[in-house]
Order: sequence, then C-alpha cells, then structure tokens
Amino acid sequence: MAFLRSATKTAIAASALPAAFAFSSLSPSSPNPKPENLVFLSPSSSLLTSARFGLVKNLTQPPSSLSMDTPTSNQKPISQDNGALPEILTEFMVDMKCEGCVNSVRNKLQTVNGVKNVEVDLANQVVRILGSSPVKTMTEALELTGRNARLIGQGIPEDFLVSASVAEFKGPDIFGVVRFAQVNMELARIEASFSGMSPGKHGWSINEFGDLTKGAASTGKVFNPTNQGTEQEPLGDLGTLDVDEKGDAFFSGTKQKLRVADLIGRSVVLFGTEDKSDKGLTAAVIARSAGVGENYKKICTCDGTIIWESSNNDFVASKV
Amino acid sequence: MQAAAMAANAILTATTPTLHPLLSPLPPNHSSFHGVSLKLPRQSFSFSLAAKKLQPPFVVAASKKAVAVLKGTSSVEGVVTLSQEDDGPTTVNVRITGLTPGPHGFHLHEFGDTTNGCMSTGAHFNPKKLTHGAPEDEIRHAGDLGNIVANADGVAEATIVDSQIPLSGPNAVIGRALVVHELEDDLGKGGHELSSTTGNAGGRLACGVVGLTPI
Repeated sequence: MAFLRSATKTAIAASALPAAFAFSSLSPSSPNPKPENLVFLSPSSSLLTSARFGLVKNLTQPPSSLSMDTPTSNQKPISQDNGALPEILTEFMVDMKCEGCVNSVRNKLQTVNGVKNVEVDLANQVVRILGSSPVKTMTEALELTGRNARLIGQGIPEDFLVSASVAEFKGPDIFGVVRFAQVNMELARIEASFSGMSPGKHGWSINEFGDLTKGAASTGKVFNPTNQGTEQEPLGDLGTLDVDEKGDAFFSGTKQKLRVADLIGRSVVLFGTEDKSDKGLTAAVIARSAGVGENYKKICTCDGTIIWESSNNDFVASKV
Repeated sequence: MQAAAMAANAILTATTPTLHPLLSPLPPNHSSFHGVSLKLPRQSFSFSLAAKKLQPPFVVAASKKAVAVLKGTSSVEGVVTLSQEDDGPTTVNVRITGLTPGPHGFHLHEFGDTTNGCMSTGAHFNPKKLTHGAPEDEIRHAGDLGNIVANADGVAEATIVDSQIPLSGPNAVIGRALVVHELEDDLGKGGHELSSTTGNAGGRLACGVVGLTPI
C-alpha cells in the first residue's frame, strides 16, 4: 500500500484515494460489476471528475514549479514517484564495452531509489533492472554514467502472453510515448511523456479502435469492456494530464483491472480539454513491444543503423 | 445470451474448424459467426487475440478487420486495410503514395514499437523461425509480404491474400508494424548477405502499426 500513502501528496491523487482503496478491497479474482457500481455512485460527481479510479497519481507538478531543463528540478517530480510503482523488470541496452563500464553502470543504478536488483549482460550490452523506479528515472541515471541507453523490454518474464505495449505520438505537433506494462492480472503500470501540447489540463483515454484513418475521430469510444468499468467511468478513461507552460507532461502511475493484452491494436487519445466527449486532438495505436529478453536487436540489418543512432524517425527519404 | 457466450467460447477453444456441429440450431449454410454476433450488444465484441486467454465470455470471431496508417519522414504515406473471414486467409489492401516508381519490399515486423527505430520493431514477424522468402514460398517469414510496385506517379496499389497473417489468435498481426522499404525485396534469392534475413530491401520509408477497426 505504499503507493496509496504517497498518493496523498497531491490534491488530485488524494481525491482518488477512496476509489482506489475501494477497488483494492474487491475480490481480485472475480470481477463483479455490482460492487463497483456501488462504489462509483457514492462519491459526488465533482469528485468523480477529478478522481480517475486506480490512476493513483500524476507526477506532474503545478506548472510554476516545473522546469525540466534545470538540474535542480530534474529529479523532483520523479523522486516523488519512487516506491509508488509496483515492481517490474525493465531491460535497457547500454553502450558498455568493458567490466569497468559494468561496475559503473551497476553502482549508479544501485543508488536509484526503488531499484532492487541489477543484472548486467556485457556480451549483449543488456542491463536488466528489477524495481519500482519509473523508466524516466532509470534512463536518466544510465545517461548520467555518460553512456547511451535505450529501453528494449519491460515486463515479467513467462507470465503473460503480452506484457508490454507502447503508443507513440509522432507529431507533427504533439510528440510522446505511452508505455503500458502488466504487473499482475489485475494491475498495469502506465508511464507517459508528452511534448508540444498546449499548457493546461488535457483529458486522455484508451479508445476502442486503433484506426487512425481520420485521426482521433476514427478511434471510436473510450474503451469499456462490459464486464469492467461503468458507463460513467469506463476502464479506458485515464483521467487528466497536467501540461506545463512549456507544453510538456509526464505521467507515471498504475491502473487496476487494465490488461495490456486487451489493449493491443486500440489507441491512446489526447483531448484538447478535460472533456472527453469532444473529438480528440490526436491519437496513437497501442503497439506490441518487447517483453524482457524478447528483443536484443542492436543493428538494423536493412540499413545498418545501430541502436545508439536510432530514433523513432530514422526513415530514409524516398527519392521522388 | 448465456448459451451464445458459451458457444462462442467453444468455437475459440476448438483447434479445428468443426464449427457447425457446435451450433446446430443455426441453418447449416448460415455463417455460425454471424449468427452469434447478431445477438450480442456492440460493446461485447472483443477483437483482441489475447483476450482469448484472459477474457473468455464474449470473444466472438466474425469477419475481422484491421487498418494501419503508414507514415515516414518523407512524403511516403499510405493506408493498409486488412480483413479476414472466420479462419480464412487475410486480404490486405495496400495504397501507398510518394514512392519511387518500381518495386519496394513490404514486411510485417514482430513488434509495433518504433521508439528505437527499426531495432524496437524486432525482426520480420517469424513465429515459425524460418528464413526470409517470397510470400508464395514454403520457407518464409510470416511477415514476408513480398514487394509492392509503385507506378510512374509513385503510387503503389496492391491486394495481397495471405494465410500466415491472421487477425486473431497468438499470431495475430494486430499491434505489429507494417513497413515499406526503399528497395526491392529480393525474396531471399539475391545472393546478398542480407537476402536470407531481410531480402536486402534497404532502409525504411514508412511504417504503421496495425490497429483494430470497427467491423
């Protein structure tokens, strides 16, 4: 219940507490819509709009206190989250060439709050981290060692058919990555970062279709499997993102009853305001991503790019 | 409703398509899948392959559809729609514009994740662990969809019918990435070092994740 205690640190999360607590007291093995309905109907509607069930906390600070470029504030929103996320395995490919590098990477990671165990495979340049730290914290720690690091897999090995997925927003205005990782049958971790948004509050959701032929307009309704969620509070409702004055937003949290395998091929939608009945601003398909140990690909055989040079935009130009 | 759900469940767990005996009340020439789906409310559909494992009650396989919107950094873009009736082959309709005239390799990769470019998409989708080949070859990756040919205007339109890329089940294409390449895929026969893995099709021009779409 560590995540519940830390959840009280923000006003938004504090209002989520009753709902989250009620959820955790339900029988996890037999989802039954009846008790959920009772829970959902009892809080006032104003509480409902700010408290999205199970989304326990939102990392983002109020805009005035957040400036991600300065070293002092860099760690602040993240440390708040340490210990708040459930444990998971995260694999990075790290540019290490010798035993010395292995030690420096290992030592650095062991200072990170929430990191429980670090395994290093020098031959494959893979670092496997067990712990509750957000991806952003671990990536920053690895980069502080002066080495390139890329997340290559997430999840709990052998346990789930699909344990990790990712949705990428590729512009032209809004860029971002949303990662979903299954922690157990009843809980998924959600981590997201966005840039290029307009400052203020933006709703976001998982929508039922991953059809981007008309952008967000063709993604259907907020994902709401009939045996979970309710009319008022669909399972796919992710609440509200707070975007700072630079247009950036970060999110790190968990959601009850979310099953990563059920999300593949659906979409994440960002809205212009908190109102999710509006058509969304933009959307991205939720794609399969590698679980732990599933993808050690380091060189793109098609064009010789190596992983350190890669980005999500490394396309060659067509010579028309 | 209960009976329909159970029947649907039974269909999904059956490994061979002996479906009609399970649904004997329906006329034999009527599609069993449509018969079931009509009785269910809209929201109860679950197209997801993996839902089969986790969420049995209302999984119904009917005619299935998916779509991918392909984009790159250049002017290359397109839409690929996929459809499959029951357990039949998947029909892939491709329309991609902005290409150089001529053939371009067209592949399905294991993951739809492009956060690390072409590395995080993994290799060509290859559940049978075979070498690269042509779509009509016995030995091929499931994701080897051959070449699409752009006309003088740079537009490639193609219809591919393939039985190795289902829209449901463990090898479903949903959530994986479709990639169109710079060069022609040599279909494993080019004698190049890369022929047996990628068909030596050069860099990526555009890609898109296969997403679920309304039926």
